[in-house]
Amino acid sequence: MEELILELKKQIIEALNLEDITPDDIDTNAPLFVEGLGLDSIDALELIVLMEKNYGIKLEDPGKSKEIFKSVATMAEYIQKHRTK
Amino acid sequence: MIFKLSDNIVSSLGFTTAANYKAVLEGKSGITPGKDAAGNPISISRIDAGKLDATFQDTFHVKEAYTLAEQAMLLSAHIAIQEAGINASSDRTCFVLSSTKGNIHLLGLPSHDFGKDRVHLWHTAKLLAGFFGNPNFPVTVSNACISGACAQIAAIHLLEQGNYDHVVVTGMDLAPDFIVSGFQSFKSLDQERCRPFDARRKGLNLGEAAATIVYGKEKKPGISLVKGSIRNDANHISGPSRTGEGLFRALQTAMEDLPACEIAFISAHGTATPYNDQMEAVAFSRAGLGSTPVFSLKAHFGHTLGAAGVLESVIALKALEQGLVLPSTGFQEPGIEGEINVSKSLSKTDKRFCLKTLSGFGGCNAALLFQNAL
Amino acid sequence: MKKITSYCRITDHQVILNGNKLNIAFSGDTGSSRLTEIYRYLDAGYAKFHKMDNLSKAGFLASEMVLRSLDYDLEIPDGSTSVVFANKSASLDDDKRFQETINPNNYYPSPAVFVYTLPNIVTGEVAIRNKILGETSFFILEDFDAKKMHIFIDWAFLSPGISRVLCGWTEYLDGHCDVLVMMVEKDSPEGMDFNTLNINQLY
Repeated sequence: MEELILELKKQIIEALNLEDITPDDIDTNAPLFVEGLGLDSIDALELIVLMEKNYGIKLEDPGKSKEIFKSVATMAEYIQKHRTK
Repeated sequence: MIFKLSDNIVSSLGFTTAANYKAVLEGKSGITPGKDAAGNPISISRIDAGKLDATFQDTFHVKEAYTLAEQAMLLSAHIAIQEAGINASSDRTCFVLSSTKGNIHLLGLPSHDFGKDRVHLWHTAKLLAGFFGNPNFPVTVSNACISGACAQIAAIHLLEQGNYDHVVVTGMDLAPDFIVSGFQSFKSLDQERCRPFDARRKGLNLGEAAATIVYGKEKKPGISLVKGSIRNDANHISGPSRTGEGLFRALQTAMEDLPACEIAFISAHGTATPYNDQMEAVAFSRAGLGSTPVFSLKAHFGHTLGAAGVLESVIALKALEQGLVLPSTGFQEPGIEGEINVSKSLSKTDKRFCLKTLSGFGGCNAALLFQNAL
Repeated sequence: MKKITSYCRITDHQVILNGNKLNIAFSGDTGSSRLTEIYRYLDAGYAKFHKMDNLSKAGFLASEMVLRSLDYDLEIPDGSTSVVFANKSASLDDDKRFQETINPNNYYPSPAVFVYTLPNIVTGEVAIRNKILGETSFFILEDFDAKKMHIFIDWAFLSPGISRVLCGWTEYLDGHCDVLVMMVEKDSPEGMDFNTLNINQLY
């Protein structure tokens, strides 16, 4: 799981162009949206692409996505359960 | 103030304004089921390519090859120019092109014979003016979905500054995979036909069209474009402002001292995304237009991007000429908070002004004020 | 008489602000990395910069320098300034990037890239950063043309309540940056006359 979390943080940084941030800067359990990294609606859509591209997980329901993208921890948990890649 | 001499629409509903307007009155929609590049179902309004090509060849008998986008643009301009009876090759005539992506499909073609410049909008505009032998540099506007309004505002300046007698404003956009994929990635498309202002609205449908309005500066009875205004929300590049700031300011400026009660209707942007329609309602209410009838044409034509501002103005103006307020197709259950009067059925009006509003990516908003003078 | 009160010119080799060449020794070898170096030099403190496409970055940086030189207050909503830019390639630089994300063999359309496939987005980014509530517009020209740009910029002043227009040429394609951003003001006692000759000189 630790490996997945680190991998995920690196992928998030790259996908969202978080240029001045390192994986160490991202708190695994902190909220990704509103506070924490302060991601916006386009970032959320880009994370949906990341899930499919890197883990083969298709997210169709934007409502459900909100729960999954709450934090890096919730994302990693979901990926571990549902990944097809 | 500038005066409309003629107009045309080339879309899924036909290649003349009359055919398109008739379809709208009959409640017909050009939006049909289709698929995106990944095979997902979508609803989209496509121009019949075969029919367009045949009509183009019959009309022009040219040897050169033109892209579908160019054919739609040229045919639309040609019909409007013929109807207006103006000399398109005169140096007193100027062309204005409104498009967001023009020939962008060429990027996805591994090899084509059109040359590397063909994908550029400046080339498309030059082709438009050149096709009609016009010696003037064509103005090319690319301001997201409000481009069609910007182009008409440019026409006001061109004519009022006295260098030209006539301006041909043409808006054009198709919906190639490039654009469909992009909107899919935004999850902003409704798989079914869109429902502007409705409680169950899920998103927009894309549409293909070219539309033209020919304007002149000599005063005449009938339709005139009185004023236009563009304002930015300064909020987010793809999400509308919750307070409708930019659209409100554009409306304020376009209406200036005209009281809201003089406005017959607003032909809104009404894309049927959850946020756009709500934002428009907020802006209308703030501008004192909370009880002015509002309709969207997106359920007939889809969102035609760079063509939308021109196409939807043409339809709205036909209605204004006939003293009619069109129903907002696709609307059944009120889904907007706050004050808004979505038109449910065809009705009569004796008011002589109408508004056309548009909003686009980049936070831009536009409002056009039209008059039907006796 | 309208005046150009500040201007910034960014090319592949140098950055000039109001006649002064900025002391940035570019170490990067791509257009994109050079833009990031300018950003760091300015210490603009605007993380959203990194999400922008190259066209928006270039226009943003030039605008940032022009507005800073005029002590522009970022916090006050400004309804009297408009933004009017023009270029030749529209958003083709980012369009190509988006096209790569819809390759049939690797089909993952990117929303973050798609949103920049419109040339006017750069005007939106500048408006958001500086709370500019006036008009934002974008025109396409075959090449840099001071006379035509002068006309478009003049048009922006015709809109009620507009007294300043942040404007210019924002061209970026395939690693090459060709930008000239100016502030033109209606009622300023200072600055150079806003005319075709001067625009050409600055370019």
